[in-house]
Amino acid sequence: MLNIEGLLVHFPYDYIYPEQYSYMLELKRTLDAKGHGVLEMPSGTGKTISLLSLIVAYQKVFPLEVSKLIYCSRTVPEIEKVVEELRKLMEYYSKQTGESNNFLALALSSRKNLCIHPELMHANIVVYSYHYLLDPKIADLVSKELTKKSVVVFDEAHNIDNVCIDSMSVNISRRTLDRCQTNVETLQNTIQKIKETDATKLKMEYRRLVEGLKEANVARETDVYLSNPVLPDEILQEAVPGTIRTAEHFVGFLKRFLEYLKSRLRVHHVVQESTPQFLKDIFDKVCIDRKPLRFCAERLRSLLRTLEIADIADFSAVTLISNFATLVSTYSQGFTIIIEPFEDRTPTIANPVLHFSCMDPSIAIKPVFQRFQSVIITSGTLSPLDIYPRILDFRPVTMASFTMTLARTCLCPLIVGRGNDQVALSSKFETREDFAVIRNYGSLLQEMSAIVPDGIVAFFTSYMYMENIVAAWYEQGILENIQRNKLIFIETPDAAETSMALEKYQEACENGRGAILLSVARGKVSEGIDFVHHFGRAVIMFGVPYVYTQSRILKARLEYLRDQFQIRENDFLTFDAMRHAAQCVGRVIRGKTDYGLMIFADKRYARADKRGKLPRWIQEHISDGSLNLTVDEAVQLSKHFLRQMAQPFRQEDQLGLSLLTLEQLESEEMLKKISQIAHQT
Amino acid sequence: MAALSEEVLLVVKKVRQRKQDGTLYLMAERIAWGPEGKDRFTVSHLYADTRCQKISPDGKAKIQLQLVLHTGESTTFHFSNDSSALKDRDAAKELLQQLLPKFKKKANKELEEKNRMLQEDPVLFQLYKDLVVSQVISADEFWANRLGDTNHADPSLSNNKQEVGISGAFLADIRPQTDGCNGLRYNLTADIIESIFRTYPTVKEKYCENVPHNLTEKEFWTRFFQSHYFHRDRINTGTQDIFSECAKQDEQGLKSMVVQGVKNPLVDLLSLEDKTLDEGYGVCTTLPSTSNSNRSVKESSNSAIIKRFNHHSAMVLAAGSRKGETPANQASETSNTDGNSRDSVFFQPPVKKVKLKEAIEYEDLQRENRPKTVALNLKKSDRYAHGPVPLQSQQYTTSQDIINSVNYIQHEMVNYKPNLTQVLSSTTASSAIAALSSGGVLMQAATQQAINQMVPSEVQGELKHLYAAAGELLRHFWSCFPVNTPFMEEKLTGHLEEMLQTAYSKFHIWQTRRMLRKT
Repeated sequence: MLNIEGLLVHFPYDYIYPEQYSYMLELKRTLDAKGHGVLEMPSGTGKTISLLSLIVAYQKVFPLEVSKLIYCSRTVPEIEKVVEELRKLMEYYSKQTGESNNFLALALSSRKNLCIHPELMHANIVVYSYHYLLDPKIADLVSKELTKKSVVVFDEAHNIDNVCIDSMSVNISRRTLDRCQTNVETLQNTIQKIKETDATKLKMEYRRLVEGLKEANVARETDVYLSNPVLPDEILQEAVPGTIRTAEHFVGFLKRFLEYLKSRLRVHHVVQESTPQFLKDIFDKVCIDRKPLRFCAERLRSLLRTLEIADIADFSAVTLISNFATLVSTYSQGFTIIIEPFEDRTPTIANPVLHFSCMDPSIAIKPVFQRFQSVIITSGTLSPLDIYPRILDFRPVTMASFTMTLARTCLCPLIVGRGNDQVALSSKFETREDFAVIRNYGSLLQEMSAIVPDGIVAFFTSYMYMENIVAAWYEQGILENIQRNKLIFIETPDAAETSMALEKYQEACENGRGAILLSVARGKVSEGIDFVHHFGRAVIMFGVPYVYTQSRILKARLEYLRDQFQIRENDFLTFDAMRHAAQCVGRVIRGKTDYGLMIFADKRYARADKRGKLPRWIQEHISDGSLNLTVDEAVQLSKHFLRQMAQPFRQEDQLGLSLLTLEQLESEEMLKKISQIAHQT
Repeated sequence: MAALSEEVLLVVKKVRQRKQDGTLYLMAERIAWGPEGKDRFTVSHLYADTRCQKISPDGKAKIQLQLVLHTGESTTFHFSNDSSALKDRDAAKELLQQLLPKFKKKANKELEEKNRMLQEDPVLFQLYKDLVVSQVISADEFWANRLGDTNHADPSLSNNKQEVGISGAFLADIRPQTDGCNGLRYNLTADIIESIFRTYPTVKEKYCENVPHNLTEKEFWTRFFQSHYFHRDRINTGTQDIFSECAKQDEQGLKSMVVQGVKNPLVDLLSLEDKTLDEGYGVCTTLPSTSNSNRSVKESSNSAIIKRFNHHSAMVLAAGSRKGETPANQASETSNTDGNSRDSVFFQPPVKKVKLKEAIEYEDLQRENRPKTVALNLKKSDRYAHGPVPLQSQQYTTSQDIINSVNYIQHEMVNYKPNLTQVLSSTTASSAIAALSSGGVLMQAATQQAINQMVPSEVQGELKHLYAAAGELLRHFWSCFPVNTPFMEEKLTGHLEEMLQTAYSKFHIWQTRRMLRKT
C-alpha cells in the first residue's frame, strides 16, 4: 500500500522502483488537474503496472471523478500483457481486501468481436488497440458512447501521429474503382428488387433523411457521444440534400462520382492538388456540388442499413469512396491529393493511384482530446517531449521524462563513427554504395559476433539497404566469417518467414550457439519484438534510419508541418529518424536486471542535434569518451562492459538505489532524493 | 575355502610353476594352481582378469602355457608329466579357449569404458599420461573414483555421448583455391562431407542414389560445386542439374517450416497487429510487389541469398538437435524438422500464458525466495576479469611512495617557472611524444600485453598439464578427508605424500629445464 500524495495505492509487488513512484506522482497530478499528460519512462521499469495501479486506485477512491480507464496499446501481445498485469493487480486486490473483485475489465483484441456495446458501457477498464479510438470508422462503432469521465492512456505512443494520419488517409487505385463499380451495380439491383417487394422501406428511409441527422446532433450537443472527425458538425444540423435523398438518385450520384475518379486516374504525369482545387475541378467537370459530397458517407451507411445488407465487408470499396467524398469536401486544410500514374521504381508499368493523404495528425485525435478529461500519452521513447503536443495540437498539464535509476550501468551506448582504417562510417546517401563503408560495417559485425555472447540484433535503415549490404558481405566472405561465431537470420518482407527466423534465432540463443538477427528499422521486428536478456546482448544500428525522403506524400507533409506548426523539415526528419533508432536500440534493454550494448554505427549520431533527441535514459549514458569510436575501440569498450555485466547481480545491490522497500519509500530523505532525480533534466 | 563350493572343470597334475611341482585347477570362474602336498592355491587368476593365453611352440622342449593378465603380468605353467604333457596342455588350452571369451566381454567392458573415457576426453588422457604413465600414482588409484562416478551416473547418459553440432560456417571452410591451370580446387574432408549430409539430407539422398552407380565420388562433388545449388546467389534455372531437385526440396522444406508457424505467440509477426486498417486506407499502400516480374535480377538474387541464409541456419540448428530424437521421428523429418511441433497444437494456450507471464515478470521487484547459494567472493575482481599481467621489471611501489611522489610533483609544479629560452627542440619534443604515445619505446611496459601472448603456447601447454596433474593429486588428497578408515590414513600418510612429492619434483625439473633453455 503506497501513499501517493494522500492517495492510497495497492501495488502488487514487494519493492518499487523510484521512477515508478515518480511516475505515479506525476500521473496523479494529471488526473487531479483533469488534464492531459505526456510521460516518458523506459520500458522495463514497470510503466504498465504503475499506470494500472494508480488509475485503479484513483477510480476506487473517486468513482465520480474517474469512472473508466481506456487503455490503448499498439500490438496484440502488448494488449495481452496489459491484461495479464491487470489480472495480477486484481488478484492482489482481492487478496488484500478480502473482497471479491467487483471491477469489470474488458479487452478487445480482434475486430471480429465488435458487438459488445453494453459491456463496453459498463466496464471499468477497457483495453484495446489504438484504432478503436482513433480510426473514425471503428470508433464510431465501438467507442462512441464511452463516458466523458474516462482516462485514456495511449501506451507505446511514440508513433501515434502516424496512426492518426493513417486512419484518415485514403488510397484509390484502378482496382478500387473496379470493385466500387461492382458494388454500385449490386446496390442498384438490390434497390430494384426491394422496390418491387417492399417499397415502404425505402420511403421510410426517405422520410428519415428529410428529418436530417438530428439524432446525431442531439447526441453531440448533449455530449453523449465521441464525435466522429469524418462527420463534420455542420451537416448534423442539415437535412440530407435532395439530390441524393432517394436511393436511386444516390446511386446515380455515386456512379457519376466514380466516372469522374476514373477520368482523374487517366493521367500521364503526377498531379498534386489541394482539396479546394479538387472540389472546383469536380464541380467544373461533372457538376457535383460540395454539399452532397459531404453527406456521402452518412448517406451510404443509411442505405446499407435500409437494404439490410449483412456483410458490409463486401461493400468496402464503395464505403471507401464515400468516406473519401466526405473527407475531401469537409477539410479544406490538412490534406493533399496526389495522383501518381505509376510507381517510381517501375515507370513502365501503369498503376495509377490517387493518394488522399492526411498531413495533420491532430485531426483524427482532436475528438479524443476534446471529449475525455484526461489523455495520457506515454512510451519508453517520446523524446523530444515537446514535439508531441505540437504535432497533435493539445495542451498538456504535465510533461515528464523519467530515467531508469540503475545500481549498475546496464546499458552501454557507443557511437562508432570510424572504421579501423579511419573511414567515416555513415549510411548517408552519398556513401551508401561505398565499398569501404560496407566493409567496415561488416568488420564491426564480425568483431562483435566474436565477443558478444548469445544474441545480437542488427538494424538497417531500410530493407533495400540491408539487401544490398548482405549481398556485398556475402561476396566478400564476411558473412562466412560471422557464421563461424554465430548463426545468421535475416528479416524478409514476408511476415511468416520472418516469424520463423525469429523463433529459430531465439532457439539458437537458447541452446548456446548464439545468433545474429539482421533486421530493419521501422519494420515489424523493430516495433513489436523484445529481445530480453540473452536474446539480445547487443544491438547495432547501422546508419540513421531516415524515412525515404523522395516520397511526394512525405514532402507534402513536411511542407505542411513547416507552414502550420513552424517545425523545420530537418528537425522533423531527424526527430523521426531518432525515435526509430531509439525504438531499435531500446529493444534489448527490458529491465534493470537485463544488460546490453547499444551500438550506433554512424558518425552522425555524435552530433548534438542527433544525440540530443535520444531519450534521456539513453542519452545520459553516452559519455564524451564514446562519441566517435573506431571499430577496435568499440570492441575494447564492449569487452570491458560485458565482462563487468557478467558478474553476479543481486537484489541487495539494487536496494536503496534503484529498488526501494516500502520503509525506504516512506523516509523523507528518500522522497527528496527521488524528486531530485525526477526533476533533473 | 571358497574354492570348495566351486565347480572344478579340469584338474591337471604335475604342472610346475616357478620350478615347483603342483596341480592346476580350472574352475568355472578362475584358474588356480597349488603346490604339491599343500591345501591352498598360491596362484589364482579370475578368467575375467586374463587377457589371453600363450602356448609354447610345438617341438620345443618345455611344454608351457602362459596366461597374460590385463595388468600386464603373466604366469607360466610348465606341464611336466612326461607321458602326457602335450595332451594335458592341449586339454587345458582347449578349455581355456572356450572359457576365456565368455569372461572377456565382461572384462572388456570395463576396459573399453576406460579406453573410451580416455579417447573422448583429451584432458583425462593427458592426466593419465602425466600421472599413471609417469608412475606418480597407480592405474587402479587413478581409476578408483573415476569409474565410480560413471557407474553411479545414469548409464544411458554415459553411453549416449553428446552429439557434436555442426559449425555454421562449414561451407566457408571449403573456399576454393585456384590450381594454376584454370581450375578450382575444393578441399573436402570427411567432416565437411558429414556436415553437408547432416545439414542437407537431400544432398545425401542424391549421393546415395548416384554414387557409385552413375557417378564417381569425385564427379559427384565436382557437380555439387558447379551447381547452382552451391552458389546461393544464383537463381536456379537449369533443370538438368541433379541438384535442382534438392533446391526444390529445400524450398519445400522452408515453406513447410513457415506454414507450420511458430509456437511462441510473442514472436508471431502475423498476429502482432490487430488488423485494423481496411484495404485502401493508410498513407503508404505501395506494398512490396510480390510478383517477380518487376523485380530486377539483382534484387531477386539478393533475396535468394537472404532466403538461403535463413534456411541454412535453420538446417544447421535442426541438424544439431535432430540426433537426440527417436528414429521414428526421423522418418518424418523432411516434412517436420521439429519433433515437438505436433504436440504444440495441444499446448498452445499454456505456452502463450507462460510466455506472457514471463514477459510481465519483474524478478527484482519480488522478494527473493530461491535457495541460498554461496556466492563467489572475489577479493580482487580485476584479477579474475583480466587474467595475469606480466611482472614489470621495475620495482613495486607502495601506495605511500605514490602519495609521496604525487606530493612531490605537486610541489614541483607549484614552483615551476617556464624557462622559454631553454625549451626542447621540436625534433626532440616530437620524438619524446612518440616515445610516450602508445606503441612508443617508453610505453611498451605499460601496454597491457596479456601473459598468454608472451609465453609460447608450448610452454603454456606444459604448464597446463602440470597444473591439471597437481589438481588431480589434490583431489585425491582431499577425498581422503575425513580420515575415518585405516586405509585412508595409510593412503594419506603413505604414498599420497610421496605422490605429491613426486609431482613437486616433477614440476621443479620442468622449471629448471625451462630456465636452462631460456638462458
